[in-house]
Amino acid sequence: MKRPAGKVLYKGSAPYLFLSPYVLLASIFFIVPFVNAIVLAFYETNGPRSRAFVGLENFRFLLHDTNFHTALLNTTVFALVSVCVQLPLAMGLALLLNGGSSRLRGIFRLIFFSPNFVGQVLVGILFSVLFTPRYGLIPRGLQAFFHWGLDKQWLLDPPLIRLAVVLASLWLWVGFNMVYFLAALQTVDKSLEEAARIDGANAWQVFWHVTLPSMRHVVVFVVIMTVIGSYQLFELPLTLLSESYGFGAKNAGLTLITYLNFMGFHTGDLGLGSAVGWVIALIIFTISLIQIRIARIAED
Amino acid sequence: MSLIDKYPYGKAPFALLVIAIVSVGLRVAIARRHGERPDLVLVTYSDAHYDAYRRAVPRFEREHGVKVQVQQAHWASLQSRLQNSLLADVELPDLAEIFEGSLGYFTRGPAEDFGLLDLTDWLRRDRLYDRMVESRFSLWSARGRVYALPHDVHPVMLAYRRDLVAELGIDVSQLDTWDKFVEAGQRISRDFDGDGLIDHYMIDLRFDGAWGLDTLMFQRGGQFFDADGNVAFATEDNAELFRWYILQTRGPKKIAYDCGWGQPVAKAMIDGLVVFQWTPDWRSWVFQDEVPSLKGKMALMPMPAWKPGGRRTSVWGGTGLVIMKRTKNPTLAWELAKFLYFDTPELGKRFQATNILPSLKDAWDLPEFDRPNPYWSNLPIGKTYAALAPETPPVYSSPVDAVARIRRNLAYSLSAEHYMKYGEAGLMEAIRKNLAEAATDVRRYADREHKLRAGK
Repeated sequence: MKRPAGKVLYKGSAPYLFLSPYVLLASIFFIVPFVNAIVLAFYETNGPRSRAFVGLENFRFLLHDTNFHTALLNTTVFALVSVCVQLPLAMGLALLLNGGSSRLRGIFRLIFFSPNFVGQVLVGILFSVLFTPRYGLIPRGLQAFFHWGLDKQWLLDPPLIRLAVVLASLWLWVGFNMVYFLAALQTVDKSLEEAARIDGANAWQVFWHVTLPSMRHVVVFVVIMTVIGSYQLFELPLTLLSESYGFGAKNAGLTLITYLNFMGFHTGDLGLGSAVGWVIALIIFTISLIQIRIARIAED
Repeated sequence: MSLIDKYPYGKAPFALLVIAIVSVGLRVAIARRHGERPDLVLVTYSDAHYDAYRRAVPRFEREHGVKVQVQQAHWASLQSRLQNSLLADVELPDLAEIFEGSLGYFTRGPAEDFGLLDLTDWLRRDRLYDRMVESRFSLWSARGRVYALPHDVHPVMLAYRRDLVAELGIDVSQLDTWDKFVEAGQRISRDFDGDGLIDHYMIDLRFDGAWGLDTLMFQRGGQFFDADGNVAFATEDNAELFRWYILQTRGPKKIAYDCGWGQPVAKAMIDGLVVFQWTPDWRSWVFQDEVPSLKGKMALMPMPAWKPGGRRTSVWGGTGLVIMKRTKNPTLAWELAKFLYFDTPELGKRFQATNILPSLKDAWDLPEFDRPNPYWSNLPIGKTYAALAPETPPVYSSPVDAVARIRRNLAYSLSAEHYMKYGEAGLMEAIRKNLAEAATDVRRYADREHKLRAGK
């Protein structure tokens, strides 16, 4: 039976119709700002009226700016800790839960994932209370168990600031990544693991040679997302160290996005802020590319 | 056959379509309900100001035959909304109250591009300069012009537990210099019960410097920037202050503890962990409101001076009322600003609700300012703060104010780290070097802004 031409046209245009709100919104809120940010990075600005073309001066300024160097170093350290500590912990939890009963698995999955329900800002506020010297739960716990740390200034002492940010982010993200790993573990072919065990492989060998390679796509995805997320770390240090714009003593909590936010919105230097944004984008792009390459080589 | 079944693309797209239509409909309905814009819109961040202005505004509306809308927003959100509205060139309130340190953001680039009205000539024309505390104009001035009306003075005193001070044998009338204060502090900042923990500290001082250093620097006559906007904090006097501060917070005879902010401060005061607290006028209300259990036990004293006969106060904080350049009714906005900031009887009521000393000197003669305050051991705190107000130091603003504070704090942290590693050996040299590097860095940021002014 032949369809009327109008209806065919209507049917054919339907996907575009449904896509159009997204395309429109993405154009307004992504493509236009994206292009504008490229232009801004070459200007020093003061709102829409006054701007001065400075060429590569913003990037040159960043090269010599100690605050930017500290932000880059701190963010890289946070990213490394995330990959080296957070992901193994998440994997460990996933392995533990994978063996339990499905009911318990559901309950624990909910418990470990629950910090994500409240978001980074609330976690930041919560941990700033937990770390309060003399009265906070963490200093009191340390004093009770180790007779140490009751008056430690977790959020004012530079080495402790970094540790505090790491601990808070572990609490927030370990459960989140665990959910990915748990889902991946449940898709691993049990007969392969069984065969390895029959061949005499111990638990570690089964995990390393069978389980992990079977879930490599998820692992690569989680590693890339974790690195991207770490380079975008902002709300957590900002809330934990709110009294110093998120910088912390000796700039120990300063991250790249905090620096971007500070330059763009506290000093009004949107041109420099855009330049920082482009440097971050370049770093994330390069690291992601390297990770994908490594994953491909490993796969081959 | 229901409508959903007739829809050719399935249930989920149908649900999305319904959500989209309902959302747009609601948005239109809400926009219509808001109706026409009033003649003036004023935004404040303070609960107390919001209540006071809502109470006072109907009289202004009657007298001028206009409609005024008072809005309230959190201070951080208010500032970013103002900034973003100015950047995007969209609708703005006519008047807004902004926070200490934020004027610099609004006074970047060429002066003709500032989003704020220059109030200097109006202040002169209406002879308001002399009626206000002169030092407060510094905070709200840029390039020699005034862009905001100073709401308050915020002189700093020291609050203390009267009962605890008596118990520890401290005579506050003798604490007229910081040397004597430290001496008394070293006597009481120790472990009385032998549990290995210090039971009382003399004063609450920020471990990382921050506003503790600011307040003391202003008291000593120091500044982040001079009146012409030049970086001014890398001085020998500030280096000495750094050393003093490091010793009080980290030295073997330290007298200070960092209580943090909010509830831990209240708990530390209730427990007697710290005896003295920085207390500008606004904070005296915070204690009164949030730590009622200390009613009658608290008292206030002027800050100790750095030298005998020296300045006994400093400043901490500030609010200013700005008028946006894009307002359609600048004259009416100025009238409202004067009505809110210079209506003397109203200022008396506002003082009772906030303990904040207005910068209008005429108001201090009102009976409310002389009334004993039972929380503060029946001290007439209005008069007490007012007596210190003429001594309050100026605080100059700059577009790179936030950078200066961050960079000065970094210099302090580095100096404190030097002390923790090497003690006093080479400390002053390290402090001087850190301060000089910080100043150089801030100048680099300031130079960028200067180029922008010239680039127009």
